Amino acid sequence: MAFLINSAGLSTGLAGVLLIFLWVRDEQNVDQFHQNDARLFEVITHYQEPNGNIGTGNFTSGLLAETLPNDMPEIELMVASRVLDDGMNVSIGRNSLKARVQYASEDYFKMFSYDLLQGITDQVLKNKNSIVLSDQMAIKLFGTTQDVVGKFLELGQDKKYQVSGVFKETQPNSSIQFDLVLPFEAYKENNNLATNWEANTVQSYIVLKEGTDINNFNKKIADYAYNKTTEASPFTIALRKYSDAYLYGKYENGKQVGGRIEYVRLFSLIALFILIIASINFMNLSTANASRRLREIGVKKTFGAKRGDLIFQFLGESVCMALLSLLGALVLVWITMPQFNEVTGKQLEFDFNFPLIVTILAITLLTGIIAGSYPALYLSAFKPIKVLKGKINNSFGEIWIRKGLVVFQFALSILLIVGVVVVYKQIEFVQNKNLGYDRENVLYVDIEGKIEENLETFLEQARNIPGIINAGSIGDHLVGGDLNGWIIDEWEGKDKTDRTSFQMRAVSTEMIETLGIKMKSGRTFSNDFSTDNSKIIFNEAAIEYMGLEDPIGKTISIQGTQLEILGVSKNFHFASLHEKVNPLFFVLQPSWTDKVMVKIETANVNKTIKNFEELYRSFNSGFPFEYHFLDEAYEAQYVAEQRVATLSKYFGGLAILISCLGLFGLAAFTAERRKKEIGIRKVLGQSASQVTMMLSGQFAQLVLISILIALPIAFLLADDWLSDFAYRIPLKVWYFLGAGLIALLIAMLTVVSQSIRAALANPVNSLRTE
Amino acid sequence: MIKITNLEKYYKTEEVQTIALNKLSFEVKEGEFAAIMGPSGCGKSTLLNILGLLDDPDGGSYLFNGIEVAGYNERKRAQLRKHNIGFVFQSFNLIDELSVFENVELPLIYTGVKPAERKERVHAVLEKMQIMHRRKHFPQQLSGGQQQRVAVARAVVNNPKLILADEPTGNLDSSNGNEVMDLLTELNEAGTTIIMVTHSEHDAKFSHRIIRMLDGQKVTENVLV
Repeated sequence: MAFLINSAGLSTGLAGVLLIFLWVRDEQNVDQFHQNDARLFEVITHYQEPNGNIGTGNFTSGLLAETLPNDMPEIELMVASRVLDDGMNVSIGRNSLKARVQYASEDYFKMFSYDLLQGITDQVLKNKNSIVLSDQMAIKLFGTTQDVVGKFLELGQDKKYQVSGVFKETQPNSSIQFDLVLPFEAYKENNNLATNWEANTVQSYIVLKEGTDINNFNKKIADYAYNKTTEASPFTIALRKYSDAYLYGKYENGKQVGGRIEYVRLFSLIALFILIIASINFMNLSTANASRRLREIGVKKTFGAKRGDLIFQFLGESVCMALLSLLGALVLVWITMPQFNEVTGKQLEFDFNFPLIVTILAITLLTGIIAGSYPALYLSAFKPIKVLKGKINNSFGEIWIRKGLVVFQFALSILLIVGVVVVYKQIEFVQNKNLGYDRENVLYVDIEGKIEENLETFLEQARNIPGIINAGSIGDHLVGGDLNGWIIDEWEGKDKTDRTSFQMRAVSTEMIETLGIKMKSGRTFSNDFSTDNSKIIFNEAAIEYMGLEDPIGKTISIQGTQLEILGVSKNFHFASLHEKVNPLFFVLQPSWTDKVMVKIETANVNKTIKNFEELYRSFNSGFPFEYHFLDEAYEAQYVAEQRVATLSKYFGGLAILISCLGLFGLAAFTAERRKKEIGIRKVLGQSASQVTMMLSGQFAQLVLISILIALPIAFLLADDWLSDFAYRIPLKVWYFLGAGLIALLIAMLTVVSQSIRAALANPVNSLRTE
Repeated sequence: MIKITNLEKYYKTEEVQTIALNKLSFEVKEGEFAAIMGPSGCGKSTLLNILGLLDDPDGGSYLFNGIEVAGYNERKRAQLRKHNIGFVFQSFNLIDELSVFENVELPLIYTGVKPAERKERVHAVLEKMQIMHRRKHFPQQLSGGQQQRVAVARAVVNNPKLILADEPTGNLDSSNGNEVMDLLTELNEAGTTIIMVTHSEHDAKFSHRIIRMLDGQKVTENVLV
């Protein structure tokens, strides 16, 4: 029995630890495969936010990479790059598919270690019409990776590029994923903002020369970009290690404050706890079983076994047990790996390389030794005579340690339960929150090909499809967008030094209606008024920020253009709920838009989409029809949280399971140890139910103490986690009481059977003296 | 007070059935002090467990105060036991985690006596057993004789009609042993019925009657007084 509990506990514990270990290792390896890793940096920008804080972004002017290397001799390589959010259509004849696209300047493949299978590293991006594609893309387009260099393909509409190289498909440990790389020169050609010091629209990467002091260099370049602009409020640039961006990506008020590393730490901690709990159980059960092995120890000692021999024996046993459990753990990991990968969005696998095997064995041996050390020292120290007579008196200290361990385990389990509940509730809140726009049944497609030229016609025909309620077009994503801020040069009463950026969304007519965004005052853009393209609509937050009274009809100016305020929309959450609603405005500029959004009826969704697809194909015959739903895009903002929720659910369950195994063991041990006492009490008239209550009550007491310890900590941690959200759930008492009750209930279910068994035993048996 | 007739008890293992009590019959009157003697394994302890309502017989009749209790279930036996019977064991069987006071108090808790009255009665009986000054000590801090006095105090605190003593002096030296025997004699003289299992002829002489057993059967009965 004890053997089963022990190996089950250790196996599940080790399995959990192994999974977390693999995950953590994978997280830490992201982006570290670049040979230049130690000297590879990304340029980040610190700028002023509307609320007065300092914001941090990783966009710079496209000109930075052209001038900075000339002015700073410390720079070995510098590259400008732009990853397209939505990809592009790539086609050869009729074969057309969507590809993830990145524009990058010449030295890209010299700087980053993406393997070039064909082509010359510093030549592939030299020609403005060249294109480098991944081997997988080559296979999809040409059916082979051989001899594709020199072939032509079309990108978007009618733009021809010549293949100059083939690179090995990006691996999961690269934070950016792309199928095609195009010369940055080609990007500049179509995006004049990329050659403007005033606009931060591209990413810049630098490899510094050996021995460059990064702090000094950062001081040197801080004002470089700002000095090139006409801006009044200063912003600074700095370098951040490229491979740090993935784990240490979060900034608050200009300071690095964490990022994914928090989750890495959290789960490392959970792994450690699981291991400790499993070890504790092992110790508890082994020492609890001591009484059964007393005779063995006594006899061995009487016949000359030294203490060292016994310590060796017990440690050996526990290490063997740990190794045996490792086998069980490996089987468990093997079984749960696909599920785990799905939850974490990773592609982890057990590649049995030497360092991994050594690490796993080390973890296992350590567990075995830690778990076995206490029983070994404890059991081997008994005096043979006492032991042979079957007498051991547990000192109060020992009992307290044992109880302390149970309290510790349960406190941890309760923490995890509260964690799971709070994360779930917040996610639920996020999913159900009234966002100020309607994200249900809104689907969108990219504006491409002939649709771009005939947008109004396309929208008009779309609106006529039965089942389509409305249609419009919009620039940038509606949600998650924190792209380019626009500075409003003038409004009534503006402080001239204020360089706060506003979010801009270019729209067609009917777009605001399609999204169900409500107006607070004024009206939306309409085709009935030809001058609406010189008008502007602000959200409430913007009006509040600017402090305008009766804003309708007043004019503001952006980049020299006067715009009249046409309406004020109610606030809606275009960014994630981590952030407050920031100032935003709409302008009627259909040509700037890049997505068509369509609101459809809930009935006959498939038929409506099919009709819409037909319309799409009548404009863009060769293009793949790819559509997305807005609510999916919305939920994608919270992938990290959802993963944490699912993971903590599993590991919380695991911790509780292991804790229960431990409690079960302790209950069995206690019943065994108190057998005589229970016998005496029964002889003196205590009933079986009173005995059960007494034993179970004692454990209930321990769990209650755990609850008292865990709940305040849980509250603080939950509150801290929620403080990351600008819009969050209030912490309710029942989350905490519920968690406590669940723990108590589970604990009681675990111990009550043991207690009843002890209570029903015939006292005569336990009182018999030899 | 106690009348057993053709009492039987078997112990079964998978292959063998051992007879512990074989159609045993005798009677103990109220106020009597009876000693039961016999070699190890003759069934003395089994008999005492049945008389103490800790175990039930496999056959025969057991009248306790004229009531047939042989068929009683555990709950009913416990009820009868806690109000009428006190136990004294060879190995004292005190609870190590409880103080002297708490050990003696236990039977009163289980019979539902109120705390204030409990305190009074425990103090009275500790006084009587001359162990009052040790009431806050734990059993392991006491000598064997003191521990057995606590055990006797615990046995009598509920004023039971019957005390069952299982080799009460077995773990004591002779002077402590005599003290315990004097205590039992005193209790008997005050009216409590006592049945004592013993190996010691010396102790047996404190009783009124010696019942000798062999292989689960009564061999002789000697009346001493």
